[in-house]
Amino acid sequence: MIVQRAIESAGIPTILIAALPPIARHYGTPRAVAPLVPMGANLGEPNNYEKQRNVLRDTLRQLMVIDSPVSIVALPYRYIEGEEAS
Amino acid sequence: MTEMTIVKGLQSEINVPLSPEPVWVQVEKDLQDMTVAMVTAAGVHRKQDKKFNLAGDHTFREIPNDTPTSELMVTHGGYDNADANKDINCMFPLDRLQEMVEEGLINAAANTHFGFMGGGGDQVKLKEETGPAIVEILKNDGVDAVVLTAG
Repeated sequence: MIVQRAIESAGIPTILIAALPPIARHYGTPRAVAPLVPMGANLGEPNNYEKQRNVLRDTLRQLMVIDSPVSIVALPYRYIEGEEAS
Repeated sequence: MTEMTIVKGLQSEINVPLSPEPVWVQVEKDLQDMTVAMVTAAGVHRKQDKKFNLAGDHTFREIPNDTPTSELMVTHGGYDNADANKDINCMFPLDRLQEMVEEGLINAAANTHFGFMGGGGDQVKLKEETGPAIVEILKNDGVDAVVLTAG
C-alpha cells in the first residue's frame, strides 16, 4: 500500500488485488478489489487460468468504475484449499 | 455556525487507529487505450536476479515484460508462497496480462514490471526511495495504470 500510494501520488491510477482488505483499508489503498483468497494466491489457485483471467479482467474494469478513494470492491471468486474450484 | 469543540485540544483516551490521508488521481483514459504495468509486494523476481533478504529488504527488482513466467520465482519470508512458486500467475499474473492485451481489453502491457518484498523492511525507504524509483521508470515507460498485488 505504501508503494501503491507513491504511484498514485505521482499521477498514475492504481488498483490493488488484496487478500487482506482490512489491511489495505487501514493503509489507505486508493482502489482495491478483494476476491476471497489466501495471501499468496490473490488471483486464485495455481493453473486455474480462467479464474485468474476473471480476477484480472474484473480488476481492470473496477479501475474504471471505482469513483472515490479507499474503495474496496469484493470480487465473486474464491479459493479455499480443499474446496472444488468455484 | 455553532462551535462544536467544547474543550480545545481534548484527546480521547481511546486508542483510535489512524489511516493516512487518501490519495487519488482521476482515471482519464479508456481502458482499451491504456498501457498497464504490474507491481507486486509478493517478492517476485527473475531466477537470475539477487534474492530478497528475508530479514527485511526495501529494494526492488525489474521484471521485463518479455520474461517467460517460468523464469520467475518468489523470495518472501512473510507468506506461504508454495502456490506462487507452482504458478507465478497466482500472485503475478504476467501471462494473464498479455491475454488482456490480446483480448483488446487494454492497449499494451508495460515494458517493465516490478517486484519487491512488502510487509517488512525499512518502511521509510520503501516510501521515500523505492516508491519514487519505481515511479520514475513507470513514467518514462508511459504507463497509464498499475495493477498491484499485496497482502
